[in-house]
Amino acid sequence: MTSLATPEKMPMADAALKDGAAAADDGRRLGFALTMPAQVLVLFIAVFPLLMQLYISLTDWSPLDGIGWWQAYELWNGFANYTDLMADTRFWSALGRTALVMLICVPAEFLLGLGLAILFMDDFVGKRVFYSIMLVPMMVVPAVAGYMFFMLFQSGGPVNDILSGVTGMNVSIAWLSDPTTALIAVMIADIWQWTPLMFLILLAGLVGVPEDQVRAATLLGASWWQRFRTIVLPKMKTIIIIALAIRVIENFKIFDTLYIMTGGGPGVATETISVYIYKVTQQDLIWGYVAAIALVILISLSILVSLAISRMNKKKEA
Amino acid sequence: MTAIHLENLVKRFGAFTALKTMDLEIRDGEFMALLGPSGCGKSTTMNMIAGMEGPSEGRILFDGRDMNGVAMGRRGVGFVFQNYAIFTHMNVYDNLAYGLRVRGLPDAEIDSRVKKIADFLQLTPLLKQPSAKLSVNILQRLAIGRSAIVEPAIFLLDEPLSNVDAAFRAVMRTELKHLQRQFRQTMVYVTHDQLEAMTMADRIAVMDHGVLQQVGTPLEVYNNPVNLFVAGFIGSPGMNLLRGSLADSDRGLVVDLGELGLTAPLSPEVAAAARAHAGREVVYGFRPERVSLSVTGEGVPMPVTFVERIGARTIAHLGTGAQRVKAVFDNDVTAESGTTVSVAVEPASVRLFDAATGIAIREA
Repeated sequence: MTSLATPEKMPMADAALKDGAAAADDGRRLGFALTMPAQVLVLFIAVFPLLMQLYISLTDWSPLDGIGWWQAYELWNGFANYTDLMADTRFWSALGRTALVMLICVPAEFLLGLGLAILFMDDFVGKRVFYSIMLVPMMVVPAVAGYMFFMLFQSGGPVNDILSGVTGMNVSIAWLSDPTTALIAVMIADIWQWTPLMFLILLAGLVGVPEDQVRAATLLGASWWQRFRTIVLPKMKTIIIIALAIRVIENFKIFDTLYIMTGGGPGVATETISVYIYKVTQQDLIWGYVAAIALVILISLSILVSLAISRMNKKKEA
Repeated sequence: MTAIHLENLVKRFGAFTALKTMDLEIRDGEFMALLGPSGCGKSTTMNMIAGMEGPSEGRILFDGRDMNGVAMGRRGVGFVFQNYAIFTHMNVYDNLAYGLRVRGLPDAEIDSRVKKIADFLQLTPLLKQPSAKLSVNILQRLAIGRSAIVEPAIFLLDEPLSNVDAAFRAVMRTELKHLQRQFRQTMVYVTHDQLEAMTMADRIAVMDHGVLQQVGTPLEVYNNPVNLFVAGFIGSPGMNLLRGSLADSDRGLVVDLGELGLTAPLSPEVAAAARAHAGREVVYGFRPERVSLSVTGEGVPMPVTFVERIGARTIAHLGTGAQRVKAVFDNDVTAESGTTVSVAVEPASVRLFDAATGIAIREA
């Protein structure tokens, strides 16, 4: 540029160039000023709470101490919360229970949702009505769903009545008072509420599978199962990953329905990680410790999900 | 390697009849084009041959075997879709191997057959490529190869060239015809493009409104259309059709074209067939390519309305009112719009149709 715009020959051009640079600089500054509010907002919504959490997790701060959170450094205890966490058996069993619920609920929701979605690909009488009914559980407020299942699973409740009717015996299981059956009841409620979401996402995926490719496979002699495995599933891969990721993350945070049904009980039989955190926060009020738990979970869940997604993507490319 | 016989085939969708009593014999190893405007029932016919749809009435026979109730995967039919329906999530090799894999053949045999067909179709260097980004002529070869590898008795092609741009279509046509000669398979080709049908097919089945109009070689269909629809549909532009009535003159049997006057005498063959229709309304048909224009010579005088000059050809639009005619010439003509010229038609190329029924008047 400078070789062309020598000062003697083209002073105007050079001046214009300088002006242009200044204008670009101004533009950048103006742009920064204009996006400032949004940037601050993002900072406060995402980054600030995270940093605050990290800070508190390194202290022994509790609201009962009578000092503001910003003064928590007075109660600095380094990584003590994290070492405590490693030895906290209640935390680990809550984590294990959460994983168990996830490993049963998410596959169950996936398979049920997929099965229903496949059925809904065909035409049948009353399809629209059934479609609307299918989506109702998803719209029920989780707290309401919690009360519904709380009442359904009472020992004199409808579930036992139906079981009595079917088996011809007098069934009176105290569902929510027994550690095993309480966990089962909680999982049934979750599956009831979240299968529709799976159904909805997977139906969208199924509709998007190119029909002519499925037909081409049929004409080449592929059976239903072969077509499903070699054409439909690969085409749905992305949407399946999304559906599973959403449900894994959401299911890990299972709380409201469960808390209303069992309160984490009997004992700690249905205490998942969210319930445990809630109890430590609200009952024990050791917030430094809570911050440490929450941070550990956030980081491990992020790593887990991103690993799973990248692995599935790699498989897809291979 | 199978002959197809369609017997009284009818297809209804609710109250709509897509196909009315179709009878068609497709010979072993033949390239048959089903040609017609959209909605004529050609795709429905093809889908029924493939087994995607069942006939409402009638039968489809492959070498005498009734195919009703035989699932489409078991008919031995290779289908090339309009957009080829390549499995975009697989590479070229997996696409070719698909039909063999679902049959559970041993890997070694699959591999040798895939390599053989890939070699034949010149796809060998592309075997490991993802199929999503291939060019359209490769896609066509891949689609044919994928169907051919399972050695189907019949190939069905559903307008495979309609997504291809015009310049490339000629290349694809040649390639397709070449492939058919090499495979020697019975092929049924659905198209609305008469150029495709004329250039590739051994025989053409012209269809309209669910009715089979005419079956014949491209030249038969072009030269001797059985009715007004085929006459107007085949050829570009189609046959000139003028309404008139048969009249005797001192020079022999002629057609009175009303305000355009009398035509030249009919050839002895045409006249012989037309005798039985004397005095009846007829349609006087002739190909636009079989016309000569002169200022004062023999022929029917007609005003020139418009002359299209498109380089290789010149198309003159002639006539008045409803009696309009096109004449096509390989080189330029001196005719100018606004003038009147004499239009002489080669007597041998004249075709007469019954105006009431639309059916060609021919010697019995």
